[in-house]
Amino acid sequence: MGNLKLNETPIRTSRNFNINNIKLENIDIPKNISKFNNIKTTTNVQEVTANNCELTYGLGNVLIDQIKNNSNKNLKIVVDNKKNENTLVEFNFDENNNILIDNIEIIVNENCTGTIIVKYNTKSNIQCYHNGIIKIYAHKNSNVKIIVVNLLNTKSNNFISIENELEENAKVDYTIVDFGGENSITNYYSNLKGDSSENNINTIYLGKENQLFDINYIAELRGVKSNINMEVQGALNDNAIKHFKGTIDFKKGSKKSKGNENEFCFLLSDKAKSLGLPMLLCSEEDVEGNHASSAGKIGEKELFYIMSRGFSLKEAMKLMVKAKFNKILESIDSEELVNEIVYEIDKRLD
Amino acid sequence: MKSQINEINRNIYDIKNKDEYDFKIKKGLTPEIINEISNQKSDPDWMREFRLKALEVYNRLELPTWGPDLSELDMSEIATYVRPKTKLNNSWEDVPEDIKNTFDRLGIPEAEKASLAGVGAQYDSEVVYHSMKEDLIKQGVIYTDMETALRDYPDLVKEHFMKCVPVHDHKFVALHGAVWSGGSFVYVPKNVKVDIPLQSYFRLNSPESGQFEHTLIIVDEGASLHFIEGCSAPKYNKVNLHAGCVELYVKDNAYLRYSTIENWSKNMLNLNTKKAIVGKNAGMDWVSGSFGSKISMLYPMSILNGDGAKTEYTGISFAGAGQNLDNGFKVVHNAKNTSSVVNAKSISKNGGICTYRSLVRVNENAKNSKCTVSCESLMLDDISRSDTIPTNEIRTDEIEFSHEAKIGKISDKTIFYLMSRGLSEEDAKAMIVRGFAYPISKELPVEYAVEMNNLINLELEGSIG
Amino acid sequence: MVHGKTTTANAILNNPMYSKINGSILFEEEDITSLKTDEIARKGIFMSFQLPEEIPGVSVTNFLKYAKNKITGKPVKIFEFKDEIKNYMEELNINSTYMERSLNVGFSGGEKKKNEILQMLVLNPKLAILDETDSGLDVDAIKTVSKGIEMFKNDENAVLIITHNTKILHSLKVDYVHVLVDGKIVKTGGQELAREIEENGYSQYK
Repeated sequence: MGNLKLNETPIRTSRNFNINNIKLENIDIPKNISKFNNIKTTTNVQEVTANNCELTYGLGNVLIDQIKNNSNKNLKIVVDNKKNENTLVEFNFDENNNILIDNIEIIVNENCTGTIIVKYNTKSNIQCYHNGIIKIYAHKNSNVKIIVVNLLNTKSNNFISIENELEENAKVDYTIVDFGGENSITNYYSNLKGDSSENNINTIYLGKENQLFDINYIAELRGVKSNINMEVQGALNDNAIKHFKGTIDFKKGSKKSKGNENEFCFLLSDKAKSLGLPMLLCSEEDVEGNHASSAGKIGEKELFYIMSRGFSLKEAMKLMVKAKFNKILESIDSEELVNEIVYEIDKRLD
Repeated sequence: MKSQINEINRNIYDIKNKDEYDFKIKKGLTPEIINEISNQKSDPDWMREFRLKALEVYNRLELPTWGPDLSELDMSEIATYVRPKTKLNNSWEDVPEDIKNTFDRLGIPEAEKASLAGVGAQYDSEVVYHSMKEDLIKQGVIYTDMETALRDYPDLVKEHFMKCVPVHDHKFVALHGAVWSGGSFVYVPKNVKVDIPLQSYFRLNSPESGQFEHTLIIVDEGASLHFIEGCSAPKYNKVNLHAGCVELYVKDNAYLRYSTIENWSKNMLNLNTKKAIVGKNAGMDWVSGSFGSKISMLYPMSILNGDGAKTEYTGISFAGAGQNLDNGFKVVHNAKNTSSVVNAKSISKNGGICTYRSLVRVNENAKNSKCTVSCESLMLDDISRSDTIPTNEIRTDEIEFSHEAKIGKISDKTIFYLMSRGLSEEDAKAMIVRGFAYPISKELPVEYAVEMNNLINLELEGSIG
Repeated sequence: MVHGKTTTANAILNNPMYSKINGSILFEEEDITSLKTDEIARKGIFMSFQLPEEIPGVSVTNFLKYAKNKITGKPVKIFEFKDEIKNYMEELNINSTYMERSLNVGFSGGEKKKNEILQMLVLNPKLAILDETDSGLDVDAIKTVSKGIEMFKNDENAVLIITHNTKILHSLKVDYVHVLVDGKIVKTGGQELAREIEENGYSQYK
């Protein structure tokens, strides 16, 4: 059992606001790590002995060191196809595979394009532990779509550090579905160093019971005409808590760049809590940065309208949440996966 | 295209008087120095003890781990108490010539004649002039300096002094508690509406010193008041410190508007603390223009404690070369049906840094509340910096909350449009900047403070009118 | 006109977003090709925009007063000037409350166009280029715009109307009609040319 201080923001604000980092107490950080075998992948995924663990940000030393020293799954994916190539990595947690410490390296070669699905899943009720890195190198003119799905149960711990490096004209689209974990802590960093590089992040999260989500997205724009869009939609039920820290940092040289950040949080219970820190940092003149953030409960009028058509309160609520998430779900090409996510929304809001 | 917006003309602010004083305490911060300030001010015992306790808190607390770098501040180099060579005067004629000239140049006495209900003027550590219109005195309005209030209304002061802003809030509040001097005390009795504003003006003349005035305003139930504070100082090479404290009590159904024009010199560290406690169905509006200082850390705060309490913050910061203005607003919704509206703007040029830092906290009991925040930042060149760092904490579902922020430059299309109407590029940009600042400048009582024209009407070729 | 209309107008005003490769622009026998936009405006050329920019915090009156001062180089007498604006606004069916509103902010498309005509009347240029001022307007608004143009024009000035359709020419008498295709004038005629195009369309010129 240990205490963790994770997910520092790139710029601090008053300590009294309780958002510069997240402190977790009594977390079981596993020492004896057995193999993780229950994994399904497409053939283009190679298992390697180790991957680079150097990160600009990352969740914090304790967790990154654990991956450096104790990982039980290191994967490498090279996207080298001009046609859209589909890649799947599916981790299924169960009694014998309840600890995963993984490091996934994705290289998208020049002019290549692909779609990658990374899924963390469990059908069992057992407490799982996941601590992982996903690192993407997107070379010139490449285009990659990556879908990260966390469907762990609400007893588990989910830690993930994501880092992207975008070269000239590279495009990286993320869809992140963040539903699982008693604690689900995400650090995301994009280095848009190439001119005309583009990064889109679409995230949905769904919290219930005592779930805690701490989401820290950092995008640094360096290239001319680079572009970042963050869209984060979520719903919190019961006592769930969400911290969203989104930073768009226009660095010197990022002329003509654009950054947008949009966050919305549905509060489904009067015990749920939403904390937001949408930062815009700017040291370049000719840029455009916007952020918008809002929170509230589902409108009484909409609820009444839906219920007048024969839906129960719970069904109406689910319908509204799914409607809110729909735009982001539509960006996922796999119908099977969308159905699975919709099924999870229904189940988790029951 | 490069922007050519001139910085504010500071000439009239920069005229320094000789560093003459009746008493200047030695530099530094020790219990002996605090005791000496108490002796000089003939404090009652409770205040002496209060100061010494605050010093202990000051020594215990750390500098903030965020925001602008304050490492150049060396308290052992700052004289915390400088008594000017005069007593408090009720007649302008009695104020000594050089001090009078200073305030004359700033337009204070004309403003009083033209459109103020009362005026207070502080020079270094003590208030040198105070006056108020006769009819307000008759209605029971009190407007005086804090020292007089401490002597004449001890219970009222003791009940409210540093209760709204407790000394352990942060290090510079503790410092203020230990060395405070001067400032204004206002009490507006129940249901009295003060239609024309009161103004206090703070001038720091003495080099390597600090100003620590305390403003305490109580607007009783159903009453209303508009209070204006202005600040300036001539520029010296070493840092000066301003760590004032403003405590505002807006009781049930009362209304207070608090406007500030801050134009400290660019060697000033402005670490000011302002807080209001707002009662049932009461209103608290802040209007804040931040133009001067080397470093500013200023986050006025409204605590909406009564059902139906409302607050509005309208603020602008303009940072030029060598300035780091870290400003913003804090609001806590602590009761149902409360509302807050924030409209913050900033302009950065010539390497200046503007940061908007804020907190919105909506507590569990603030059902059916509303909060709308809008921030806009203008970058006038590529060597400046502009950051927006807002924290929003929502703990209830029955809330309408929205927050919007924008950073950008003046659009080339807009400049072309104005140029096609005969304006030069510089004029066009200046016009756009003035328009950008207008929502704030229109809230400020321009007509009577000469300094306002100097501050908002930026020094531009052939400006409007 | 078919192509190059707006480009021509922007080129005359030397919009930095357009670059001129060759040729020159003469105005009253003076080469204005490389003058800055504001210098060209002060020579007496006005252009109405298709999409006028919004300027928050600057009232219509203050803006006009300032622009008038820049164009004429003389101080503006505020009371007379306000009366003048008010009169024009009445003629153009613009509510006088718009005098104090921020320039173009929250104006409808039609209101923006009428405001452009108001600016033309107040600034009184030698040459007014009206870039599709009639597009997107209803019949009443087109009439108002035509009325403004009629009020403006005299023997001392010129108006260049850039338009897609000939409707505005019903209520306006023009001296010349030019057909512009791919940046070149392919046909010039009198008012009757407009009528002909109305019947037969532009296709014969393409």
